Amino acid sequence: MRTRTGSAWKAALAAAAITGGLFAGNASAQLAGHNVILVHGFQQEDLADPPANLQEVKNAGADYWQTFWLSRSDARIDFGSDGRVEGDIAQQAYQQLQTISQQGLCNDFCIVVSHSTGDLVTRYLLENQARWLQNNGLQPLKILASIDFSGAGGGTELADLALNVAYNDSWYNWPLKQAVRAFTGINPQPGNLGVVNDLQTNAARNLAVSPNNIPRLRFVAGGSSFGGITKPFISGTDDGVVPTHSACGATTSQGIDSCSSSLSLAGKVSSQDGPSALYFNHYPVLMNEGASHSGVLGSETGNISVPVVNNRTLNGLQVDFASRTYNKRAWWQWWGSGDRYVEVPGSNQTDMSTLVYNTLNN
Amino acid sequence: MPVRLLLAIAFVVLCAVGLGIFLSAENNGQFAWLTDPQPQSAAAINPDSSPAQTGAPPQTPPRSQPTEPSDDALGFMLASVAQEYAQNIRYPDYSLPLTQARAEGYQGNRFEPITLPLPDDGSFTVTLEKFRFVEDEQILVVASIVGRQTVSQRMTASLENAADRDKLESVALNRSADGFFQGQLTAGGNPGEYRLIVEARIDGDTVRHVSTLTIEPDLGDFEGLGDPDVRGNDLVIPVYFDAKTSGFYSLSAQLFDNGRPIALLNAEKRLDGSKNTIDLRAHGSVMAGAEVDGKLQIRHLQIRRLPAQPGDRTDYGFGPDEGYSFTPPDLGSLTDTPASDPESEQRAALLQRLADKF
Repeated sequence: MRTRTGSAWKAALAAAAITGGLFAGNASAQLAGHNVILVHGFQQEDLADPPANLQEVKNAGADYWQTFWLSRSDARIDFGSDGRVEGDIAQQAYQQLQTISQQGLCNDFCIVVSHSTGDLVTRYLLENQARWLQNNGLQPLKILASIDFSGAGGGTELADLALNVAYNDSWYNWPLKQAVRAFTGINPQPGNLGVVNDLQTNAARNLAVSPNNIPRLRFVAGGSSFGGITKPFISGTDDGVVPTHSACGATTSQGIDSCSSSLSLAGKVSSQDGPSALYFNHYPVLMNEGASHSGVLGSETGNISVPVVNNRTLNGLQVDFASRTYNKRAWWQWWGSGDRYVEVPGSNQTDMSTLVYNTLNN
Repeated sequence: MPVRLLLAIAFVVLCAVGLGIFLSAENNGQFAWLTDPQPQSAAAINPDSSPAQTGAPPQTPPRSQPTEPSDDALGFMLASVAQEYAQNIRYPDYSLPLTQARAEGYQGNRFEPITLPLPDDGSFTVTLEKFRFVEDEQILVVASIVGRQTVSQRMTASLENAADRDKLESVALNRSADGFFQGQLTAGGNPGEYRLIVEARIDGDTVRHVSTLTIEPDLGDFEGLGDPDVRGNDLVIPVYFDAKTSGFYSLSAQLFDNGRPIALLNAEKRLDGSKNTIDLRAHGSVMAGAEVDGKLQIRHLQIRRLPAQPGDRTDYGFGPDEGYSFTPPDLGSLTDTPASDPESEQRAALLQRLADKF
């Protein structure tokens, strides 16, 4: 989820979007030699001020990614957050899928980059796109992998609570109301929650969860958003909007601390409340305790990324893990090597998006 | 008193040494009550990646030697993903191995209780048996309030259409001896999304707990299983379904052996509006080597009519709660041979090419 920036950006990006049509139009934009399709997250402005047409949706979509990925993409799937996944969002997305198919952008496999609600939308589209396109005589998109930043495919408790606030005008839990207002950007009413309805934990986890063969690479943040006021209302650890259980790809909405049972979001080697199971083909890759929900898209540096080490056997060889490990002492510990931490060396010098992009393109 | 002095000095020295040991960073165990438990090996981080969790047949670990790690940690992770993906595609997407935890997650139609925080660490929780109800099914509602709040003896539960806010039904929830509030509604509305609103008086204020459920159309009837047989490297389990309307359907179910989950089975097929047979297939990669003694079970049958056009709704139907049991044919010819899916193999090769850089 991101909030829109100023109108100057809008105007500039509107022109770019009109010129480029559905595409970002950067001829050199590829990730590891594959075209990149962006699927954005929840845009709270759409609830207060619903987009009038697809062009406004496209303009907001371009705006969403301008920090980093816009100039590194070949196409986008944009949608209005005032709609529902099995409704306007599917229809808007399909218009863009048709164009991508007609252009043959995914003939040599595309890479999807999604953020937040884009994870849920991507999952739904992956389940249906082949059938819809083939029914219209078009080629299904061939997707190599989806890189999911702060994936909200498992929903967020904030959406559950937003619905409750919508039905409790005079309700007295003030901090909760403020958290929901920060998340939605509106005073929620029963009929104005749009895609937030789909982000309820039960709704999200009952939508298009059938397994498929597209690998979902999960990048998980754990920082604060909205000054931290939303954190108390999300189960387990979270990035201020999306709980870790969702971002990792856990099969239940039970609150967890980390994608790993022995490595914290901060990289500390210690016993953690990790997921009991992951959805098929969901692979947590990096965690970052300091990165915020939107910061993973390229706006934040200074936070250490942590590899989600599943095992240390690669190609049949046992390796010492290829990251920096070090020990740190707590303030009360007078001597000794202290707790052990694992991290991606130098990751605090960059942001998660740049790290992924540079690694895949090196 | 030199003896006492010596004892006092010895006591002070011992205390200082003891405190030092106690406060040493190496002293993890003594701080377990204050900090995290004893660190574990990073090798055992994700239970899902182990063969036992994925349901993969146990493989003998290769004789390996430590090797020089790559300098690129993210590259290492991507290489690991490529390797794991290459392992996973040995199972066809119509027959995926299940662990107990994964089986629970993939049961389908699950409703996790929704908890509404109340002031002073109180909470208001509503639980349903499932998220989707077929037309005219009974909806058992269970609510509870925990905390120091003063709560009325009665709550009401009502069902409201999410689209037009029409109220379907309202019932009283009565307090049971164990403190829960319970009642039943009927899923009597048109198919679509509904709000379950449980209303309580808490500290003199009206508080509504709202959650979402769906009412599904009656898609048809499950009519049992045909005779399972072995075709190629698959155990084929025919499922009879009498569809009320034609469309493109997806059927999923879980295969069990005496309560032990074996595989998640999926099949898609265009059905006309009459009796149909959908073949679920359990691939040799999940069946070979399984010592099946007696009957196998098919549970958690879920059929979906997939949206014909973007914007259409997915409709859901469910098999009998008890599932079906069947006696399998001779499974001796099934082999643990990897499945072949050209697109997945192409994908794995491309991922591996990426990984080879690291």
